[in-house]
Amino acid sequence: MLRSSLFVSISFLLIPLIGQAGATIEGHVDLPKAPTAAVMNQRYEVITNGGVVSINPPLAVVYLEGNFPATDTPKTEQMAQRNFTFLPAVLAIRTGTRVEFPNEDNAYHNIFSYSPPKRFDLGRYRTDERPVPSEVFDKPGLVTLRCDIHEHMRAIILVLDTPHFVLSDTAGNFRLTDLPPGRYTLKAWLNSKTTLEHAVEIQADSTLRSDFP
Amino acid sequence: MTALRPQNSILSFRTKLFVTIMIVVSAISALTLYIVENRATVNFERELKQEFQYGLAALHQSQQIRHAAILERCRALVKKSRIHAALEDNAIDLLYPSAREELRDVMENPQDSSSNAGLHGLSAKFYRFLDREGRVISPPTDIDIGQLSKTEESQLSLPHTPATPQLGYLGRDNPTEGDELYEVIAMPIVSSETGESIATLVLGFAPMNLDALANHPALRSGIDTNGRLYLTALSPSASAVLSNKISNTQSGPATRNSQRVEIDGTPYLFFHTILNPGSLFPAAYEISIYPLADFLFRQRELRWQVGGIGGLVLIGGFLISRFLATRLAKPVEELAFDSANNFALRQQAEAALETTNRELQRSMRFSADASHQLKTPVTVLRAGLEELLAEPHLSPRQCDELAALVHQTYRLSGVIEDLLLLSRMEAGRLAIDFSPVNLSHLIDGWLDDLGALPDPLALKAETDVPPNIYIAGEQRYVTLILQNLLENARKYNRQNGRIHIALRSDETQVVLTIGNTGRPIEPEAQEHIFERFHRGTAGENIPGYGLGLNLARELSRLHRGELRLVRSRDDWTEFEVKFCPSARPCLNKVS
Repeated sequence: MLRSSLFVSISFLLIPLIGQAGATIEGHVDLPKAPTAAVMNQRYEVITNGGVVSINPPLAVVYLEGNFPATDTPKTEQMAQRNFTFLPAVLAIRTGTRVEFPNEDNAYHNIFSYSPPKRFDLGRYRTDERPVPSEVFDKPGLVTLRCDIHEHMRAIILVLDTPHFVLSDTAGNFRLTDLPPGRYTLKAWLNSKTTLEHAVEIQADSTLRSDFP
Repeated sequence: MTALRPQNSILSFRTKLFVTIMIVVSAISALTLYIVENRATVNFERELKQEFQYGLAALHQSQQIRHAAILERCRALVKKSRIHAALEDNAIDLLYPSAREELRDVMENPQDSSSNAGLHGLSAKFYRFLDREGRVISPPTDIDIGQLSKTEESQLSLPHTPATPQLGYLGRDNPTEGDELYEVIAMPIVSSETGESIATLVLGFAPMNLDALANHPALRSGIDTNGRLYLTALSPSASAVLSNKISNTQSGPATRNSQRVEIDGTPYLFFHTILNPGSLFPAAYEISIYPLADFLFRQRELRWQVGGIGGLVLIGGFLISRFLATRLAKPVEELAFDSANNFALRQQAEAALETTNRELQRSMRFSADASHQLKTPVTVLRAGLEELLAEPHLSPRQCDELAALVHQTYRLSGVIEDLLLLSRMEAGRLAIDFSPVNLSHLIDGWLDDLGALPDPLALKAETDVPPNIYIAGEQRYVTLILQNLLENARKYNRQNGRIHIALRSDETQVVLTIGNTGRPIEPEAQEHIFERFHRGTAGENIPGYGLGLNLARELSRLHRGELRLVRSRDDWTEFEVKFCPSARPCLNKVS
């Protein structure tokens, strides 16, 4: 279910690019070992260890960095609070994206972030709060979200300055499509301290295989 | 002289008795009072100490409750998302501002002291965060987090982030209001994901007002930390003494036991106990002192009371002793007086006895000497007479005369022998050499002799004597007894009279009975017949000198026997002698 919803959100992101024929990058990222054993239907959780923010089970956010022309305002994303967790717990967005935080629990939540790219505090609100509280993330970087009332609630939003990004599956496989040809840097974000990268040259309508490392 | 001596000794006896009773009474009362005083003091001191222990225990209990409350608050604080966000999300600049919001109700509000009155001591005076290395995270200047100087702030640092809450104390020099001491709680901020301590929240609280809580107004409590004593209103010298005492006792194991300590000449009861064992902060000791002046005053009072009671007891004891000594001495005095009189009388009697004894000895010696002196001339006389009798030319009348004279010398010798024997007996110098003597044989021998003698009275002898009856005695003296009695039976008989001799024996005694016919002894003379030189009227024409019966009785007594007159009436006189049979074990030498 989680995975399908992830795919749904990713496919939504890719909709504007579908019309153009583009290149594809496929690959595999060697993910760090999971600190805890994988459990069926396990949610992603955000872990801060020694100041390093990571995701469990491990996941990579792969994105292409380069000079891309500015496009329309990106589509509004959602990060709901359901069953006293953030859903999704990991969100990758392009800069300038608005993210809504609907409260789907029958309790107050108070979403805030102290992360330098985006500090905000939505205050307490209930499920019937309208309009749905939202924030525009216009600076790239990692934003950790917390709930002031429920200390265990944690989520991250990775704000990227590119329209081409994708979340790997839990095995580390990824596939980026509809890429314009050119020379770029392909990056794989593993945690707040580790981002792998290498240069890629994309030919039009081709499929490039690129693995990390 | 005799009247003066008992008087003196009675007086000294009375004095001695009195002194003894006094000593005993004094010793008992002194011991009792000592024990009473000692026990009272010990009990008093123990009660005092117990009271303190209880007081302190109550104090510590309320402190513990307070600590638990503070810790609970701190635990809740360090879970706050904003604090974690500031620490974990690279937002240290937001740490103190966030904490201000979160700690708003924990921090003491100087403007609103009334609302915090109920939470006295639960409101923090200041707070600081320590980083992973235990260093103080510098606070911004514009937020009120409790003013601390750099030195004071540095004292909040810890060698590392603690895993558990730590308790410490921070002393502050306050030139205007006097030194202040704060209780510091360091609460680790633990990552909810990894469980490791990522930072520490340090909160400073005003310590409990120990003095106000103690139920003893005189009990004073303070805290010693970093080598400095925080105890209100204590002179510097007293502080120095106490600090010294504490540093001495700190080297040993921390105890809750009390000790005595002298401060400015006043004794105090002193307790100390470590407040934060094992803490990363410097060790802090709770010091409680209690002036013992009041206690000592009461103890002195008690001593005076005990002393007073002791004095009264002694006076009472003195009077009772005097009374008792007089009462008890009275019969003793009488006894002593009587005893003195008796002593005098005894001395007199002894002196008289001594004189009598001497006279007796002298007379006995005289008797013995006289006998000895007489025997020699009699022997000489007899020898001369016998020589004359042997002369061939003597006429028959001369011969008869000489023979009569010789016979008289024999009689004289016999009297002298008897006298000598009696005197020896009386001097106690006659010893019987006991050996078995055949009495039957002796009687038979005498009967033979009797047959050889002229018999003008034509006496008839009857015997009832079993053969070989042995008695214990010396033969020569037994013969003497027998001779005397049989001689008397023959002498005091009548014409055609008879003599009856009977002997019977059993295991304990041998009884010889000698009876004879003849004029009986006058009843009034019967009791005198055993006296020396007594001769009854019956013996007027019969030869004798009144020694025989006396001698026989003395000798029979020396043989542990007895001689007695059985009867003397109706032409029959009967004597009885008892002897010991020779088999008897009483055959010892009589000295």
